Amino acid sequence: MTIADDIGMRADRGLDSSKGINAKAVLYGVLTTIMVVFCILPFILVIVISFGQKVDGAGWVWAFTLANYQRFFVGLLWPDEVTFLYLQQLGYSFYFAIIASVLAVLTALPFTLLLTRLRRSTQAVWLVFILASLSMSEVFIVMGWDILLSNNSGLPKLFEVTGLTQWLKDVGWFQTLRDMGLANPRNVKFKPSSFATILTMSYLVWPYAVILLYPALSRLDPSLSEAARTMGASRWTVTRTVTLPSIRLPLLGTTLLLFVFLLGSYVSVSVFATPDKQTTAVAIYSNIRGSNMDAPFGSAQAVILLISASICLYFGHLLNNKAEAR
Amino acid sequence: MTTFNRRTLLKTGASIGGLAVAGAALGTPLIAQSRSLKVGSYGGYFENSFKEFVYPEFTAATGITVESVTQPNSADWLVTMQQAVPAGSIPTDISLYGRDSMIKASRIGGLIAPLNISAIPKAENLDGYFVFDGPEGPQGVGAMSWFSAMVVNPNQVDIPASWADFWDTDKFEASLGLSNVHSNGLLDITAATFFDGEETMMSNEGILAILDKVRELKPNVTLWWNAESQMEQGMKNGDVIGGQYYLDVANLMAADGFPIKATFPKEGNLQDYGSWCLTAGSEKSAEAAEFMNYSSDPATQALMSRKIGTAPLVDKAMTDLTDDEFNFVSGSPSIKPAYEAYLDNETFIKESWDKMLAES
Repeated sequence: MTIADDIGMRADRGLDSSKGINAKAVLYGVLTTIMVVFCILPFILVIVISFGQKVDGAGWVWAFTLANYQRFFVGLLWPDEVTFLYLQQLGYSFYFAIIASVLAVLTALPFTLLLTRLRRSTQAVWLVFILASLSMSEVFIVMGWDILLSNNSGLPKLFEVTGLTQWLKDVGWFQTLRDMGLANPRNVKFKPSSFATILTMSYLVWPYAVILLYPALSRLDPSLSEAARTMGASRWTVTRTVTLPSIRLPLLGTTLLLFVFLLGSYVSVSVFATPDKQTTAVAIYSNIRGSNMDAPFGSAQAVILLISASICLYFGHLLNNKAEAR
Repeated sequence: MTTFNRRTLLKTGASIGGLAVAGAALGTPLIAQSRSLKVGSYGGYFENSFKEFVYPEFTAATGITVESVTQPNSADWLVTMQQAVPAGSIPTDISLYGRDSMIKASRIGGLIAPLNISAIPKAENLDGYFVFDGPEGPQGVGAMSWFSAMVVNPNQVDIPASWADFWDTDKFEASLGLSNVHSNGLLDITAATFFDGEETMMSNEGILAILDKVRELKPNVTLWWNAESQMEQGMKNGDVIGGQYYLDVANLMAADGFPIKATFPKEGNLQDYGSWCLTAGSEKSAEAAEFMNYSSDPATQALMSRKIGTAPLVDKAMTDLTDDEFNFVSGSPSIKPAYEAYLDNETFIKESWDKMLAES
């Protein structure tokens, strides 16, 4: 069919039934309304509320003040006193999201490469399994790891019954673990800790990493690396100079996507991170919940988190373009 | 009784709260002829126990039928009421508020109506503290109370005689579980243990001094919980061997055989309470007064202690509670939260608390 045909058909349809156009218009109208009501309005509301004012001992009122934004950067008591508490929280949002997303991609990459070399039917089984595991919510996963890492039913128990705890005590390394916050006087403990937080966050996004990498990796032409191998390149050289360069775009894209997803991670951080490493997402909720009723400051934090994420995505996009241009 | 407790269920109850309000509004015309009253309480196990054990007794005694309305909790309910009452819709005649939310409501104004206390003679049974005098006169009558107590794992440590023992790193290094919410009582407990209690809470310097003391406790805390289920799990699976937890739930857990012992150290435990407040604009003030009067009866207070696990607001001697029944839900001495400080100095206390926690 040529383009001209297509245009002709569309015109015909338009002439035939004004009803069709009306239905279409109604559909678009409904969709636009849904977008505005459920997406754009709440968004605008958050931005507007972020300029509101908290009343101590009561709720908050509509206002136009930049105090909430100022508080984010220098704290409530500025200029008498400065605190970088909220910047620190934003820093840890990035810290956890970056480490966990990179870790997830790095471990998912070899797995997915191996997966693409399996028989088609076996691949399908694996993919269905991984897709199914996406249905588990963050709460579920955190609960699972919470049990796996807890004293009476998890890893510490294993340390104890296998005598590993006693051995650690005997050789003197136990004290080092205590100093690192990974043991109490009785046994090793793995939560709360950055280890548990990053582990859970990586675990959470790992299936996404596989599914996002799979299309690109399955399209890799094996003859390229075979050719390189026959010309005498070592396995590592092939990976470094042939495989990785050809998938750098999906690698970068996947990492960025997981990173942005993890920026808002709430349950893993609030359950597993130590209080000195809490993130902005957790702070937002603690501000807006009933006991504080400080929605304006919570909203201001949310807006800043959003802007930070957008900046990251923008730079990711720039990098992408650069990589593509090369 | 199960270990599934009212506060956990509040969260699930929140979502169905709106439906309950809508349902209650639809049902009203049908029973307009008889005397009725819409009473709010925190959804879940708590509200169900009221519906099953308390409201039927009240109806039998007075002929007033009760429509139960689900509240998510008191702070969020305040937000609902703040929108509903000026709009002329009154979801409940009586709402249940924590003291801080009640004071907030009285300060916002136009949300809770003054009470005719002479129609509530049995309120005399309550300590005067539990009848709240707001800017417009008496605006709340105590409903029930609950303790947040010191708990330890008796298999791991001796029962401490003072909260100060928690500061002993030899005993409790990386072993305690405490709430990470600034207003959940650790400040009040620390003030009562090492300072002049509520008085110290009233100034910024006092707050900072208390926070310095709490900072010394940090190496001993392994779990700063924000949901009480975390603390429950922590005690059950041995991650924590002590901390602060709700007295009734701790006793239920102990009764189920878990290694937890709630105790009253010499400084006491934190006691908080809920109040019945009459919604401004309600036409049922007479019925509401009868309900509050009924609730202040020592027999009703004892009924609630037995069936809901709350502490009575009247002297134990006035009730027929046995020692065991009473000790299950109450004890002495009690530490009262510095509500005024939390209200007037809310933002400062929260930020200073968060800063203290965030230091590594």
